[in-house]
Amino acid sequence: MENKSPFFPKWWIWYAVVIVVLLLQVILFFYFTEHFA
Amino acid sequence: MNFTELDWIVLVVTLAGIILYGVYRSKTSHSLDGYFLSNRELPWFIVLLSIMGTQASAITFLTAPGQAYTDGMRFVQYYFGLPIAMVVIAVTFVPIFHRLKIYTAYEYLEQRFDVKTRSLTAFLFLLSRGLSTGISIYAPSLVLHSMLGWDIYTTNIFMGGLVIIYTVTGGARAVAYTQQLQFVIIYAAMFLAAWYIIKLLPEGISFLDALHISGKAGKLNVISDGLKPDGQFDWKDRYNIWSGVIGGFFLALSYFGTDQSQVGRYLTAKSLKESRMGLLMNGLVKVPLQFSILLIGALLFSFYMFYQAPAFFNLSQEKMVKNSPYVKEYEEAEKSYRFLQDHKTSTAVELAGAIEADDSKRIDELRIQLQDQENKTREVRENIKGIVKKASPGSDTNDTNYIFLRFVGDYLPGGLVGLIIAIIFLAAWGSIAAALNSLASCTMVDFHLKFSRKPMSPDREYKWSKFYSFLWGVFCVIIAQFAYNLGNSLIEAVNILGSWFYGTILGIFLVAFYMKRIKANAVFYAAILAEILVVSVYFMDIISFLWLNVIGAIAVPLFAYILQVVKNQKSRPATIGSFERDQ
Repeated sequence: MENKSPFFPKWWIWYAVVIVVLLLQVILFFYFTEHFA
Repeated sequence: MNFTELDWIVLVVTLAGIILYGVYRSKTSHSLDGYFLSNRELPWFIVLLSIMGTQASAITFLTAPGQAYTDGMRFVQYYFGLPIAMVVIAVTFVPIFHRLKIYTAYEYLEQRFDVKTRSLTAFLFLLSRGLSTGISIYAPSLVLHSMLGWDIYTTNIFMGGLVIIYTVTGGARAVAYTQQLQFVIIYAAMFLAAWYIIKLLPEGISFLDALHISGKAGKLNVISDGLKPDGQFDWKDRYNIWSGVIGGFFLALSYFGTDQSQVGRYLTAKSLKESRMGLLMNGLVKVPLQFSILLIGALLFSFYMFYQAPAFFNLSQEKMVKNSPYVKEYEEAEKSYRFLQDHKTSTAVELAGAIEADDSKRIDELRIQLQDQENKTREVRENIKGIVKKASPGSDTNDTNYIFLRFVGDYLPGGLVGLIIAIIFLAAWGSIAAALNSLASCTMVDFHLKFSRKPMSPDREYKWSKFYSFLWGVFCVIIAQFAYNLGNSLIEAVNILGSWFYGTILGIFLVAFYMKRIKANAVFYAAILAEILVVSVYFMDIISFLWLNVIGAIAVPLFAYILQVVKNQKSRPATIGSFERDQ
């Protein structure tokens, strides 16, 4: 039932968002470390 | 450190405001559900702020900038495993906890295994959380005692005593709502401090220049691979991407999935959906927030390139050495520190010019020069710490926790100093309040109600719960008072105790969730064996503490599986025999 909420789509999307954002952050941090080193 | 009248006003108004707000938000029904779970009615954003407020103690805000100043920003990698852990908890742990309508995580272990597994894990939680909450009262009090000269015993009472007022009266609801307000004040004050650092940079040095200087000195090392110069992996290296992702994942899984101080926070959510949302949002925002707190330390490093940095940041210890027979030795070391500082300043100015001119050859030369000067500075600081140690044997010469506060006292205007001191109290209160609430819920549900023979009315349960919250508050303040006399040894013992049990407790829960065929006795004895293994590895001193959690969490399922297989094999012949006889 919870997956039918207009504000909270299927949970796997949220799980994917969290993991993808983490990956993007790590890539960004790599760039950050290299750029300012 | 100069603490003006305005600072006192800001401090008192902020602290009194939080206590009054906590008491105002205390209205809750007189039952266990109302007191420990706020009637399971909180929305996800309150749950999110409560989770974050519980995790971030006062020392988080003091250590992080100091850590970046001395060791660089690689500490942020410690949090890389957290978002993955949030997903695993949201998928597995939370639905089970919600379905069973439990008050504590340990209740589930009795339903899955037996009462002895539940009582053992609940006892380990009470022991380690009770002691560590005492330390989280004492640690920031000690910093304030050293920097402001406040009496340590009185500071301990204010740090740990005032929070008891709203924790006892309002339970989980007051804890969650005050954490929300505390969060806003803490981050606003940290943002102001960061803005001041940038504002105080000399003319011609921009925010980006400051980042370049810090980066060239090796302080923006957000990602590190943990490899030794010979290419081998350094198992004793604390913060690198591998220990962060793997070790940090197991640590976060254990902390958020099995520690009642966190489980108690997301069980207050009004639905499974809201609990999950709170946890997942924590997974999204935790790393960037920690990054920004560490960035303050990296900026502070650039700031002190142009301002005279203290050779030793702990004010009271500095004064003590200057009044000891080691004063001459200290002043000699301080002189070489100043000499190096002057050189660093001219290198930094030249570096900023080279960056402006985009002269990559000169930038490379200056980077090597700056890193060389930084290494020499580190050596001089180590020497200074050695002198402090000689002047006061047994004292803690690690001044990381004092770096940010020393800057605050020396350079920030009146009023803002009071606000920064206030946020130390607020951050401490956020984590202490949640800890007291969870210690009380575990004592009440896992021991009192479990082993009491008399049935109790909801009102009487509520009164007992309040009493336990108060009792744990007093206990933690007493631990904090003892910590001052016992010094470093107690803090170290408490930290070690935490790292010993975390992995094993997680291992028990992993077996409970994922290995349905493993029975109570197998997991119980596997936990004891895993604990022996963890303690042995600790004493061998071959790996960094983050890996202990991984060992404990993997050893329990492995040993439990072996024990269960052995047990099944032993019991099988008898079963087959009887079957054959029946034939």
